[in-house]
Amino acid sequence: MHKTYRLGRVDVPVLKGATLHVKPGEWVAILGPSGSGKSTLLHLLGDLDQPDADGGEVRFDGRSLASMSRRARNLYRNRSIGFVFQFYHLLPELNVLENTLLPALVGLHRWNYYRRIGQLRKRATQLLESFGLGHRLKHRPRELSGGERQRVAIARALMNNPKVLLADEPTGNLDEATGAEILDLIVQQHRDGLTIVMVTHDPAIAERADRVVHLHDGRIAE
Amino acid sequence: MYHALLTNRYLTSRVIPLIAVAAVALCVALVIIVVSVMTGFLNMVRDSGRTLMGDVVISYPVTGIPHYERLIDRIEELPEAEAATPVVDSWGLLKMPYPDGANKDTETVQIWGIDPESFAKVTGYADTLYWRPPTEQQLKTMADDDPRRQMDEQVLLDGLALRDSRSDRAGIVPGIHVSVGNDRQSDGSIRPARNGYWWMPQWEVTLTTLPIATGGGLLEPESRIFPVVNEFFSGVFLIDDKRAMVPLEIAQRMLHLDQGEIVDEEQLDDDGLPKVIGVDPAKATMVLVRAADGVEPDELREQLVGVYDAFRAELLQDNNAFVKPPPQGMGLSIKTWEQQQADFIEPIEKERELMRTLFSLVYLVCAGLVLAIFWAIVYEKTRDIGILRSIGASRFGISWIFLRYGLVIGIAGALVGVGLAYLVVRNINTIHSAMGDPPMWLAIIMLALALVAIALTVYHGRRGALMPITLGLLVSITLIGAGAVILILKDRGGVVIWDPSVYYFTTIPNEMDSGTAIFTMIGAVIFSLIGAFLPAAKAADTDPVRALHYE
Ligand SMILES: Nc1ncnc2c1ncn2[C@@H]1O[C@H](COP(=O)(O)OP(=O)(O)O)[C@@H](O)[C@H]1O
Ligand SMILES: [Mg+2]
Repeated sequence: MHKTYRLGRVDVPVLKGATLHVKPGEWVAILGPSGSGKSTLLHLLGDLDQPDADGGEVRFDGRSLASMSRRARNLYRNRSIGFVFQFYHLLPELNVLENTLLPALVGLHRWNYYRRIGQLRKRATQLLESFGLGHRLKHRPRELSGGERQRVAIARALMNNPKVLLADEPTGNLDEATGAEILDLIVQQHRDGLTIVMVTHDPAIAERADRVVHLHDGRIAE
Repeated sequence: MYHALLTNRYLTSRVIPLIAVAAVALCVALVIIVVSVMTGFLNMVRDSGRTLMGDVVISYPVTGIPHYERLIDRIEELPEAEAATPVVDSWGLLKMPYPDGANKDTETVQIWGIDPESFAKVTGYADTLYWRPPTEQQLKTMADDDPRRQMDEQVLLDGLALRDSRSDRAGIVPGIHVSVGNDRQSDGSIRPARNGYWWMPQWEVTLTTLPIATGGGLLEPESRIFPVVNEFFSGVFLIDDKRAMVPLEIAQRMLHLDQGEIVDEEQLDDDGLPKVIGVDPAKATMVLVRAADGVEPDELREQLVGVYDAFRAELLQDNNAFVKPPPQGMGLSIKTWEQQQADFIEPIEKERELMRTLFSLVYLVCAGLVLAIFWAIVYEKTRDIGILRSIGASRFGISWIFLRYGLVIGIAGALVGVGLAYLVVRNINTIHSAMGDPPMWLAIIMLALALVAIALTVYHGRRGALMPITLGLLVSITLIGAGAVILILKDRGGVVIWDPSVYYFTTIPNEMDSGTAIFTMIGAVIFSLIGAFLPAAKAADTDPVRALHYE
């Protein structure tokens, strides 16, 4: 894939033919220095951004995202993938339970709301309890520590049972001990069969993945 | 379904949307109140026409219409006319029974000679008589010491007949505000001064008129003593303040408009007196006509123009009739009540339209407010928008959050505004009289709240933060100012905006104009939505990567 940003009148090529295959159930770690385009690559995979015209494509289960309708792509972001960010990105006005429920609510048609909401609430609660946040359901994100916030963010990413987890330096903002706890959570999910693409610049973390690739000069190297 | 959740949270977690709701509500309330009062005023003017004068007035001032009975007979044959009645009107002086002592007050009044029975058929006269036993309905709200509780039917019957049944004499019915002894209470009822001592129907007044000769010169004044038999309260201040009703024949006699003999000074009869050569018929200065049900006053007026011409033609042919009715136009006019009041009604109608147009700007205020507030919120919520997109929200879904938000603010503002307007309009007379005599407790409450505000300011400001101090000072100053204004008003005797002698009516109209209310509500909602469109579009266009990238 190619991805070029325009800064004023200057074209800044970030990805220059990066190619990556991820097999189902695989855990791939992407290593690279700051500014090398790791987040950009993840955004393309997650359909938050699109490659340049004629700059390649993202295929999921054999289907090109570019060929899909907007609706299908909204559905792809909603159901097939889960995003975890370095800075948690929780909605400050919603409590922990609501933040976790959000992807389910986004995908839920209002006609099904009352039929499904009880069951969804139960799933979100169980997920949060399994992450040790059972006592925090009604708290707002600002009342939580960094590690707790990231656990909520992971719960949210897993809420709709996605096939792939896209994680952008999920431990980058945490101290070592907390980061290790978060990593354990992710390892656990991987063992349960989740496909993971994780961006990091910490080789120690990358080591635990099935495969490590390096992003260098806009290209992927094994 | 996440829209509702987010709209609610964005609404309830900050103060600005509440301010927007309050601002929209105030705008809506303002429009409804102003237009309602003006509409009510116009309706009152129209209704009062019927109450006071019927639908169409044929008038020929001073000299009067001769053979008016024949005109009335012709009019009553019309299917468009319900009834017609003759009136003699002029000016007179009324010597009042007050004060005690020899020097009595004199009031200038417009004297109306009426035939009570037919007059009541054409106008709302019967309903305007004030002194009468109360109905069941009135009893529920009437004060315990209201003098009407003690009244019997006779006072009403005397008023209807313009006759004092005790002395069997012709009586007079002045408007309720002719006498200064009638005090209007805040509930709109009337109390005669000095504990009922100056209740007019137990007094006599002296009416003096200045009859005008056929040639135009003034004749000797005529005076007559009348017992007051009742008083009428039409609600039109200018009338209640100035008019008095007496029986038609008496008014005709006092104004020399009654039937007389025409003599020829050159010829003498057998007794050596000037010879009678004909009869000068009684005259009426006005004939009031009421339209039949469902007939527009204009329709009736057109018919009456024809009827009058036929009536005049008949009399011109009649050799026995010495005095002929005047042609139309030569001082004789046939007008509907609205035409008669056109100089008065038209400017108000124009003014109301102007108000409606000017206040449409209020919608722009709504739209602008919502736009500004939402723009700020969208800007603040950029990151939330990125997050929502990353978990699969569509662009339309994102914009719907803000449109919905605008809708909620518009609807809430419109509903609160209508509620507020309803409360104000319904209680406008109470509010107005409170402004005329501001209650002391209100001032005390304001000043007490100001003390509380100062105490809170000191408490919250002790750590030196500027926000609570500024806010506290603002609130305290406002409260002290409000209290001071009330005290000053009280000292000055209050403000009276609705002066009945200027605005015609003794009470301010208090019906909400529901058409205007509905239109204003819909307008506020639509324009709030329009205000939300731009921020919503901006939200939909937000690039999720940029939204998430920058912390
Ligand atoms: N929306 C954007 N507009 C312009 N330049 C961008 C944008 N997003 C990222 N970049 C640039 O692209 C390069 C790669 O960024 P990023 O993918 O965040 O790197 P990494 O995640 O590896 O640190 C950086 O130089 C960054 O400034
Ligand atoms: Mg990055």
